[in-house]
Amino acid sequence: MDWSQGQPLRVGDMFLGLYQPSPETTGFWEGVKRHELLLKVCNSCGKLHHPRRILCSGCGESGLGWTRSSGKGKVYAFSEIHRSAGVFSKSTPYVVGIAELEEGVHLFSRFMARNNADVQIDRPVDVDFQVLEQGFLLPVFKLREE
Amino acid sequence: MKQLGSSCAVIGMGRSICKRGEPEKKTPLQLMVEAAGLAMKEAGINRTQVGALFTGRMPRTYCSLQYNQTVLNELKIVPTFCTEVTAHGAGALGTIELAILALNSGMIDYALCVCGEASPLWIEMVEGSANWEADLQFEGPYGATTPSLYAMCAQRYMHEYGITPAQLARVAVENRKWALDHPHAAMRRRGPITVDDVLSSKMIASPMRMLDCATWFPGGIGSAAIVTRAELAKGREKAPFYVAGFGQCSTHEWIGERMGFWGVDPVKDGPNLVRTGASVAAKQAYTMSGLSPKDVDLVQTSAPFTFANVLMLEELGFCGVGEGGAFVESGGVDYDGGLPFNTTGGYLSFGQSGQGLYLLKEVADQIAGQPEGRPVPDAKIGMVHGHGGPNACHSVMLVSGEQLQ
Repeated sequence: MDWSQGQPLRVGDMFLGLYQPSPETTGFWEGVKRHELLLKVCNSCGKLHHPRRILCSGCGESGLGWTRSSGKGKVYAFSEIHRSAGVFSKSTPYVVGIAELEEGVHLFSRFMARNNADVQIDRPVDVDFQVLEQGFLLPVFKLREE
Repeated sequence: MKQLGSSCAVIGMGRSICKRGEPEKKTPLQLMVEAAGLAMKEAGINRTQVGALFTGRMPRTYCSLQYNQTVLNELKIVPTFCTEVTAHGAGALGTIELAILALNSGMIDYALCVCGEASPLWIEMVEGSANWEADLQFEGPYGATTPSLYAMCAQRYMHEYGITPAQLARVAVENRKWALDHPHAAMRRRGPITVDDVLSSKMIASPMRMLDCATWFPGGIGSAAIVTRAELAKGREKAPFYVAGFGQCSTHEWIGERMGFWGVDPVKDGPNLVRTGASVAAKQAYTMSGLSPKDVDLVQTSAPFTFANVLMLEELGFCGVGEGGAFVESGGVDYDGGLPFNTTGGYLSFGQSGQGLYLLKEVADQIAGQPEGRPVPDAKIGMVHGHGGPNACHSVMLVSGEQLQ
């Protein structure tokens, strides 16, 4: 598939909306298919970024490539959702939040735990890949059980 | 920047409301042009005199590209400067800010600013709003809801500064008291609430419960203002009010990305989820006006959750960083004796109606001594805070009945 043309707007089994995935993020979703968590890396200064980045905020260069994350991190912030909409309604309560990867990049995600109450700020988490309610394969974060 | 302070005045405002259940359901376009007509009438200017038109973001329920042109088309005006101003909800005050810059350039004499929304009349708000503020690619597929995006900020705020749910609840309790006096407030007939009511209300997105969250205004509001230079504002039948100072600051589009940058205020020292552009905007407004927080007689904020209201008291300078909880707990915004804060009932009890200039109108009415709800005695200086996106965009405006400086 020639992603450089921005078409089709579909990666694997995933169609996410009007504009996405777009050429600058398709590498991320191809990685997800291989169960790899990829981050953007600046080819010029080495700074790591959210997979969305087009321009390096460190040096201003636009040549960003991909690098694999260890998938290890911790809970930075979270919220247990008790009221949701559409296909997510039947899954409440579920926990979303921001994971802080050990590489320093933060990603919004779903936190998976045997008990939602165990999800707390700074608890260690590891990436996992699961199909969520909309049928998309997504990187999620599992609480590292002690 | 100081030369902009009190350089311009609002000489007319208009507001049009349509509530759910009224026999004639109105579109945002209807409400906005009605409000524009009222504002022009109050200002005593006709459609040939409008030099600039600035509209807020296109309403969700009347989508048309170049929405400003749709409004212009209806008003039959011929401005020489016309554009939409969009910084989410902060764009509403942004229309007036841009008007002041244009007026100071001397290119125009009168600017018309128009904003409005009527979502609850036309769409199902809970289903339709769930993903409204989420990144469709990196947040939406996880089941993010709008409250959950703010809830993460609330959680970090409470975690980092030791703010308690009971302290946050207090602001909902005090806001409700103001709403009971206001004829248009969504919760005016629901009676007072207690801290315990808030703490026992249904969990929505932890740590936020139902009564920690804004209610939708049950209808639509269009609002408009005519702005001109101070020298043109004098000698009119209706007393003008002056824009003593203003500021604006935006930091991000999606909350998940808030953590991806730092090195500049309000995230100077590292990424964080709490501090907002409101502090930067407020600093600009104070500097421009020569005023300080102790000069302010009343404050309106468009903060849609209890934590955001308490946080804004810090960001807008009414208490120190991290002191918002204690400030509210010790009666800082008490209905009796505290800083008059959200005198319509605020987003929590008056209701949220997209973006609008209706909070500015409340301040103007209070300063003129003719509010719709409970009057703030001897109000001279008012502050309006506009906010949009998940804590993303902030505008702050200081207004005065007298020309300062």
